[in-house]
Amino acid sequence: MVQTAPPEVRDLSSSVSSHKGDRVFNRVITGAAFTALIVLAGITVFLGAQTVPVLHSQGLSFLTTTVWNPTATPAQYGILGMLYGSLLLAVIALVIAVPASLLLSVFMVFMAPKKVATVMTNVVDLMAAIPSVILGLWAFYVLNPAAVEWQKLLNQYLGWFPLFKNDSGNFLGTPFIAGFVLAVMMIPIVTSVTREVLGRTPPELINASEALGCSMWTMLRYVAIPFGRGGIVGGIMLGLGRALGETIAVFFVLKLVFNINFFHIIQSGGGSVATLIVSQFGESSGNPETQALLAAGFFLFAGTLLVNILANLIVRRTGRIQS
Amino acid sequence: MTTTLFDNSRVSELRLQQAALPWRRRTANFRVAVAIAVIVPPVIVGLLWFLTSIPKPILMLVIYLPLQLIASAIAAWSQRGTKAVLDSAIIVCAIGATIFSFVILISVLWSIVSNGVHALSWAFLFQNNVYISPSTPLGYGGVGNAILGTIMVVVIASLFAVPLGIATAVYITEVRGKAVPYVRFFVQAMSGVPSVVAGLFILTVFILTGVLQSSGFAAGLAYAILMLPTVARTAEEVLKLIPDDLRTGALALGSTRARVVMKVVLPAAKTGLITAAILGIARVVGETAPLLLTALSNDQTVLNPFNQPITALPAYIFSNVAQPYPDAVTRAWGAALVLVILVAILFTITRVLTAKRVRR
Repeated sequence: MVQTAPPEVRDLSSSVSSHKGDRVFNRVITGAAFTALIVLAGITVFLGAQTVPVLHSQGLSFLTTTVWNPTATPAQYGILGMLYGSLLLAVIALVIAVPASLLLSVFMVFMAPKKVATVMTNVVDLMAAIPSVILGLWAFYVLNPAAVEWQKLLNQYLGWFPLFKNDSGNFLGTPFIAGFVLAVMMIPIVTSVTREVLGRTPPELINASEALGCSMWTMLRYVAIPFGRGGIVGGIMLGLGRALGETIAVFFVLKLVFNINFFHIIQSGGGSVATLIVSQFGESSGNPETQALLAAGFFLFAGTLLVNILANLIVRRTGRIQS
Repeated sequence: MTTTLFDNSRVSELRLQQAALPWRRRTANFRVAVAIAVIVPPVIVGLLWFLTSIPKPILMLVIYLPLQLIASAIAAWSQRGTKAVLDSAIIVCAIGATIFSFVILISVLWSIVSNGVHALSWAFLFQNNVYISPSTPLGYGGVGNAILGTIMVVVIASLFAVPLGIATAVYITEVRGKAVPYVRFFVQAMSGVPSVVAGLFILTVFILTGVLQSSGFAAGLAYAILMLPTVARTAEEVLKLIPDDLRTGALALGSTRARVVMKVVLPAAKTGLITAAILGIARVVGETAPLLLTALSNDQTVLNPFNQPITALPAYIFSNVAQPYPDAVTRAWGAALVLVILVAILFTITRVLTAKRVRR
């Protein structure tokens, strides 16, 4: 009789395996899992390193002035107008996109028949997949003429209100148009999150509230929206992060000016950090200006990272409360 | 994101309840009131639209919307009292927002199709842009080199992002190490990196230092940064759906954990992982800013991804928008149409794959 050796004794516990192949596998996978961290740290270190000489030569005026003059001696770089412009565009986009996407998701979750809602979900996802350069193309040739007409009407009837003042008669390249394009980009992003969050409202609660005589509005106000508040805020901030970093769609429809356009949203001229980088990069006159653009990119990165982290913390915290 | 799972028996139970909801019953009077509220305002506005010269935006926003709100409020009030007024307002606004969003989407898609179709020809799809200037008439030159460039850049990006993204997901769902919350957190944070920053990063690290030239490979690296979080998050969702019985079963048969993952879990999740990869590709295929910073542009057909600038579709569109020549603009629309068709194909593949998985 042939004696077979007893099988090798192995630890079958689920946490750490003593098997050599497993240890190698674990190490490789763990290493790969930290790519995200490495990339984020890399961006911080490399772009941060480019920021140092710029801040050294410009001082804080890099962040607090509005002059961009690479040919002056010494060269002057100030991105305050761009930082403010990015925020202004984001605010305009939020004002349009937040009500629109909330109402859209309310319609999809609570009003539309199931089949219609499924089709709409697909359509909204498709909308999210349209590349921003194409939205820019559309905005330049299709939205621009229409938006000019809207802005003229706004100016004609509400021009006394400082927000809608326009002295130049030039209605192209305004923050309003750029903000509108950003809103078009944000709507599908925000909607896909709010739709999921509202869809998770327990049906028992909805039925119970209806049985108690709640109208749709009361149900939304006291059941669905409080239930999904965190997710809704998080979704809005995810969209905001995307809007702050958007470059190309804004590039075509915003006239980039370095002076701050405080709140004349239908007056030509505004700023955006991301667009500044692309528009100046092609003609950047060698190393110092490229470096200033890289520094601007660093602050853009820092800002969007902050917004995005906050958004995720909010979404995650409410996720924990719900489950 | 975690999804709440209902078991099917409970869903059908809820559906039974749905059928009996007495407060959802509509009376005949109610239907008549709603019908009047739905028909009267559009008719009035329709008449104003054709008979007066009130500017259309004012007509819709300042006359129609309030009129519709008031009509619905009256209908709701007459049937259900004051409480229903706000209710009717939110319904009108929700339908309005839906129409608004869809008008925009249709406007975008229609403008791409109607303008882009004029540019389409075999020459446009297969020729490159050597000897072509913005004023060259249609029929000469095209996006052949840009299509090839897009494919090249996306493939390079996938070579990095797909394995790393799946590995990240495997770490979260299979290895389940101590760092899982942190890895998740960093992947989420990475998904918020603006595309222009990804381009700048590759520019500083590889191009300004002279390691790489502006090339398809550099652009592929920038795309990979944008692609990785999408792949990782989708793959994580997919791997979570693989039942634990498969894992414990394989372990009980004596396989090592590495084999469980490689021979059982990943093959079982194959369709889902392909979906994850395609979603990642769809996320990046239209990104322009990284291309402008890392790949520049090139009128010639480029086959070597390392040694020279390369044009991809988004960059081609970018360079042709806002040109003073109508033919160049038509080319931009044509390239946009090609890009949208590409995205739509990717999108349809993911839907078909997901539908299959759900049905099974």
